[in-house]
Amino acid sequence: MSSSFARARRNEMLLAYALLLPSLIFLAVFTYWPIIRSVWFSLHDVLLGDPEIFWLGAENYLRLLDDRLFWKVLGNTAFYTLTTIPLSIIVALLLAVAMDSKLRGMAIYRSAFFYPVMIPSVAAGMLWVFLYAPGYGPINAALTTLGLPRLDWLYDSDWALPAIVIMSIWKYSGYFMLILLAALKLVPSDLYEAARLDGVSGWHRLIHITVPLVSPTLYFVIIIGTLHSYQIFDYVYVMTQGGPADSTNVLTYYIYQNGFQYQDIGYASALANALLIAVLGFIGLVSVTLGRRVHYLGER
Amino acid sequence: MSDATLTPAADRPAATVPARRPRWRKTLRENWLHAVMLPLALLWLSPLVWILVTSLKTQTEVFDQSAGFWPASLTFSNYPSTLSVAPFGTYLVNSVLVTGSILAGQLVTITLAAYAFARLSFPGKNLLFTLFLLQVMFPIYAIFLTNFVTLREMGLVNTIPAMIVPFVASGYGTFMLRQSFRQVPAELSDAARLDGCGHLSILWHVYLPLVKPTLIAFGIISVVTHWNDYMWPLLVTNSEGIRTLPIGLGLLAKADSGADWPRLMAGTTIVVSPLLLLFVIFQRRFIDSFMHTGVK
Repeated sequence: MSSSFARARRNEMLLAYALLLPSLIFLAVFTYWPIIRSVWFSLHDVLLGDPEIFWLGAENYLRLLDDRLFWKVLGNTAFYTLTTIPLSIIVALLLAVAMDSKLRGMAIYRSAFFYPVMIPSVAAGMLWVFLYAPGYGPINAALTTLGLPRLDWLYDSDWALPAIVIMSIWKYSGYFMLILLAALKLVPSDLYEAARLDGVSGWHRLIHITVPLVSPTLYFVIIIGTLHSYQIFDYVYVMTQGGPADSTNVLTYYIYQNGFQYQDIGYASALANALLIAVLGFIGLVSVTLGRRVHYLGER
Repeated sequence: MSDATLTPAADRPAATVPARRPRWRKTLRENWLHAVMLPLALLWLSPLVWILVTSLKTQTEVFDQSAGFWPASLTFSNYPSTLSVAPFGTYLVNSVLVTGSILAGQLVTITLAAYAFARLSFPGKNLLFTLFLLQVMFPIYAIFLTNFVTLREMGLVNTIPAMIVPFVASGYGTFMLRQSFRQVPAELSDAARLDGCGHLSILWHVYLPLVKPTLIAFGIISVVTHWNDYMWPLLVTNSEGIRTLPIGLGLLAKADSGADWPRLMAGTTIVVSPLLLLFVIFQRRFIDSFMHTGVK
């Protein structure tokens, strides 16, 4: 009796591993092996396509610490992430709150804000190169109409990165808005009703009721936003190639330059590891600071 | 009885009025919201309008500041001219092939893995599940370099499979589907088990039909992601015959060096329209899929 039970358990275990196997093979080869391997590469002098590699120890990392361009690129990456994510989330939250009030024509509004998610990054990048064109672009034309000074946008090292940030807000706010809207629909409406009767103003309701109640989702959106911010590679590649004067060069693009243009796989791997540490560190920081303060309504 | 005498029937509606806001205030509030939302929505839509309008202009109109917003006459010739400089037909076929294969592969791997995580018990379950979830943190943008080296060693660079294999396993999809499987009542599978069904036939006949909405939601997100993917196909392809639509568009931009905007915008229209059309047709499904990526 007990042996047949043990056999059933063993069969279940074997079945489970068999079911996981297809996923595990692909995960191992294309997610975990690359990470281990990139640590290994970063400790060596490796050239793309060259079978000979030489042990360097920590030299690639020391070089990284001395590389002024690396620090600039890291700063640009941080600037992009720390502006794009909060700004798109604020826009998304305001849009979601406006739409949660059962506005007529809501389906149309929703689609109007969401459609940029469907646009390929390369198409979005190219389109905005055109919109930002200093001479004939519609954005400068609009600025002139409003009596504002025209800008060189992607050709100005002060404005190129903010220009990509603005485009990213257009591209991603709609997605975050949808996720937040789903969360808002779960907030019991009598909470607002009670607050309104107590004379709490709309702004205070937003800060003191809405934000705490959707905080688990806000937290989730921050993580999603961080992962989406990798995609800046596409925009940099299409719009600026890292310029002018490396003002839009970001970590993913710098890894690409070192690995593919200079064929220096060892150094590029050290950079890739720095990126992973930065991202994991950021997500860790977010979860210990914000994650702890997240409010859960009921069991969720 | 005493209640009725204390509050005369005529007063009752009056007592509830402060709780329900008057109709005119609601209308006012709605109009105020529309006044803010409408211009904002138009602002969001304006880039799309610019793609279409520019694709119907002539070269000189684009660069002429005084030409105004609308084209003087509609120039449709930009479309055939785009199609003649780049093999968009081939790109389209490749895009369908790559996106379709990734989705098919993912559906198989995530279904099997999600069932194991949802319904079977085995040692190392939590550790393995964490490994699956961590994959979400390491998208191709973070590990493209070593993946490229690996594919080169496998001799797969510049082939269709190179664009597919890194995405066949999906930690995110496994997670989504596991959540849905867990909501299937255990009695259903117990009943099937008593009838002598094995795990695989229960998975196929009981579980899969019940989680169709999740499969569709995951499918839409996967298709949108990989249909639009740029970086990875760019790195692993270098010949015309196997390139996808986004890569083709990027090449067209490079060849034109940014000068021929009407033709480029015609190309952009061609590249963005398949997904946008699907989005317009299946709006509800698309919105629902992306909406519920957050709450599950």
